Amino acid sequence: MSTINFAAREINFKIVYYGPGMSGKTTNLKWVFQQVPQNRKGEMVSLATEDERTLFFDFLPVDLGEVKGFKTRFHLYTVPGQVFYNASRKLILRGVDGIVFVADSAPNRLRANAESMRNLRENLAEYGIKLEDIPLVLQANKRDAPDALPVEMIQAVIDPEMRLPIFEAIATNGIGVFETLKAVSRQVLARVASAG
Amino acid sequence: MVEPAIALFGGAYEKASHVLEELLRETGARYVLLLDRKGFVLVHKEALWAPRPPALDSLATLIAGNAAATQALAKMLGEPRFNELLHQGATYGLYAEEVGDLALLVIIFDNTAPVGRVKLFGKRAVQSLEVITKEALVEPGTLGIDREYHAGASALLDELFGN
Repeated sequence: MSTINFAAREINFKIVYYGPGMSGKTTNLKWVFQQVPQNRKGEMVSLATEDERTLFFDFLPVDLGEVKGFKTRFHLYTVPGQVFYNASRKLILRGVDGIVFVADSAPNRLRANAESMRNLRENLAEYGIKLEDIPLVLQANKRDAPDALPVEMIQAVIDPEMRLPIFEAIATNGIGVFETLKAVSRQVLARVASAG
Repeated sequence: MVEPAIALFGGAYEKASHVLEELLRETGARYVLLLDRKGFVLVHKEALWAPRPPALDSLATLIAGNAAATQALAKMLGEPRFNELLHQGATYGLYAEEVGDLALLVIIFDNTAPVGRVKLFGKRAVQSLEVITKEALVEPGTLGIDREYHAGASALLDELFGN
């Protein structure tokens, strides 16, 4: 859950970008880092291998600004997507407030999308969290791929009940990146507001 | 989400600040921080003589990640936990110790502060901080923010990320 630091008058939220390897989670964060003004962001930390595959996580703090005297900050994380890094993925989910699931639109990644969603469900369950109970938005990334699958087909695999919002994106040039982040942030804020 | 959070304010915050200030004085360390396990800074103190610290957000995130990975390793090896983390370089050192299940104490020191002293006073501080943080626990769902805050924050989202 969010951390409210009354002494420093800060409210912090943790948002995690999840999804299969190479779906564009880090690319989302890099775009946010490039576009957000200097005074509204912290350092971007990437724990990656030499070929730029995320090894542990990427991290970017974004300052929303001050509301009612409280500085509001979103901590954005990515997880490593590759299957064998599951131990690391599980750790990053601790204390998560909201999730962006970044799916790959390529036909040969459809199964990887489904497996990653199942893995997310299993890892959340280890913290006693149901997928249905956490703010979650979907992003169908790489919409510019020539053989990109229809969004409905991707959603049918990762969200068969079609209950989650889904955003089309081309994260390499920023299309859909802010829309997705805004949507999950709003859900996170709404959830905390309804708890009060 | 499910685990409780530490809400340090008022008397509890003052007490934790006092423990960290004492710890700085006793160890001769540069910076001391109390973090939650998610990587958020709850309290931090800096020695007056020390240069500005690196970005605290990044520092806290990396240390919390490191501590989480260390605990996962301990469990894989059949240990209930590894109690402390110690990194030492030519000039700087970093010591982290668990404060109960939900927080971490971090001491960053240079080579003028003996490691033995850092560990000794660090462990003493943990005992005090464990009591303080236990008293400051709140259950999930009880830390609500009001609708006015929600509306204000939503407007800022539009300003930062566009309509």
